[in-house]
Amino acid sequence: MELILIGAVVLLVIFVIAQYNRLIRLNITVDEAFAQIEVQLKRRADLIPNLVETVKGYAKHEQGTFDAVVAARAKATSASTVADVAAADGALTHALRGLLAVAEAYPDLKASANFLSLQEELSTTENKVSFARQFYNDNVRSLNTAVKTIPTSFFAGLAKVGAREFYEVENAADRNVPNVKF
Amino acid sequence: MAENNFRALQSANKGKTYFLLASMGVLTWLVAYAALTYFGVGTASTMVPLAVGFALIGVWGSYYGSDKLVLTMTGAKLVTREQAPELFNVIEEVVIASGLPMPKVAIVEDTAPNAFATGRNPDHALIAFTTRILEVMDREELQGVIAHEMSHVANRDTLVSAVAATTAGAIAILSDFLTRMMWFGGGRNRDRDNNSNPLALVFSLVILILAPLAAMLLKSAISRKRESLADATAVSFTRNPAGLRKALEVLAADTTVVRQKSNAVAHIWIESPLDGSSVSKLFSTHPPIQERIATLRAMESLGPESSN
Repeated sequence: MELILIGAVVLLVIFVIAQYNRLIRLNITVDEAFAQIEVQLKRRADLIPNLVETVKGYAKHEQGTFDAVVAARAKATSASTVADVAAADGALTHALRGLLAVAEAYPDLKASANFLSLQEELSTTENKVSFARQFYNDNVRSLNTAVKTIPTSFFAGLAKVGAREFYEVENAADRNVPNVKF
Repeated sequence: MAENNFRALQSANKGKTYFLLASMGVLTWLVAYAALTYFGVGTASTMVPLAVGFALIGVWGSYYGSDKLVLTMTGAKLVTREQAPELFNVIEEVVIASGLPMPKVAIVEDTAPNAFATGRNPDHALIAFTTRILEVMDREELQGVIAHEMSHVANRDTLVSAVAATTAGAIAILSDFLTRMMWFGGGRNRDRDNNSNPLALVFSLVILILAPLAAMLLKSAISRKRESLADATAVSFTRNPAGLRKALEVLAADTTVVRQKSNAVAHIWIESPLDGSSVSKLFSTHPPIQERIATLRAMESLGPESSN
């Protein structure tokens, strides 16, 4: 009888530990996934000055587009909360599309090796940003499901783990077709 | 309806693998039982562990050193970022989508478009591409192929196929031992229980003869399910069934096959290197490519699933 009781208590303790650890683990994964987004956004921000200079060399009269990109970049590098980072990310993506659209009008620029390699870097970084975003959101979804469903929900308070924010590129301009001027 | 969703496809294929692996277990148990009925406790209790041991030794080495072994078997050469910057870019994208560590990357000089993944765990993963596949595929298609290979890594298919190979190997060795012993009349009369009935004896005999074939069929079926699973997992990484579908269409349209037709490594390529006509569907390590394309097409018609 005593053995059964001890066994039941041991099982209960193991169960509680497992639930607690699962929540902590999910929370850490979300942190890591967000860090990955920031790494990729930083990479993209680092590419921009070089890209702007290259485009400038061929298309001097597009100052408005350059200013928009530089301003969006400055905003993106200073954002910190998930919502701010996401909004600045969306604005920068939009501005960069404008820049690349400008480049379309300059055949010499498009053919230059420097521009081609920058374009490859930029497109892979864009993909990395969006995959990092997807990975982050998937992990937030697992965490939020765990926080809200039984039995893990009982231990969310104990583990000090709560639902996290999705990374949503909430930028009206990003949803619209970019306005291309030639 | 749920069949068109990659999550449902993933869990269905996982479930089927567990069922097939369990069937392997049942088959092993049946063979052990047959050995017990036919030859008695004495012979069976030495033969069964011996066969499992042999099979384990045989498979363990190739499982543990799979990344290095396959390099020598296929003639693949490891490449660095500097040698293939674009390939590395696309791989890094999929690595981020999958949350896995960066694998080693290799290239095989071959005129057939193909690719494979191996390695005992995600930290020792290796993915390889033929020179031809890098020429014929655009970025989107290549991303699909890489996602398929990374899915094998994520699903630990090297381990799954090692387990399947060990079991099939043990069954083959055991039934080989026992049928030989039978022809030479050994064991049987020495320590068999006298009360075993003739029906059980006939049953055991049938099992011993058919088991290796059944094990082979199960092994191939497991490999096919893992391929379908990898296709579904690939879509969960890229959320773009069209990329992999187009890649498979390119592979289906291509008639060249990789030069080495070694059966031993056939299962690791994305497209079966053994031509379909000579291998019956039941023994094939891959599902028919048209079937895979159709499944991906069905996923596309649902549209890309929103990421949250």
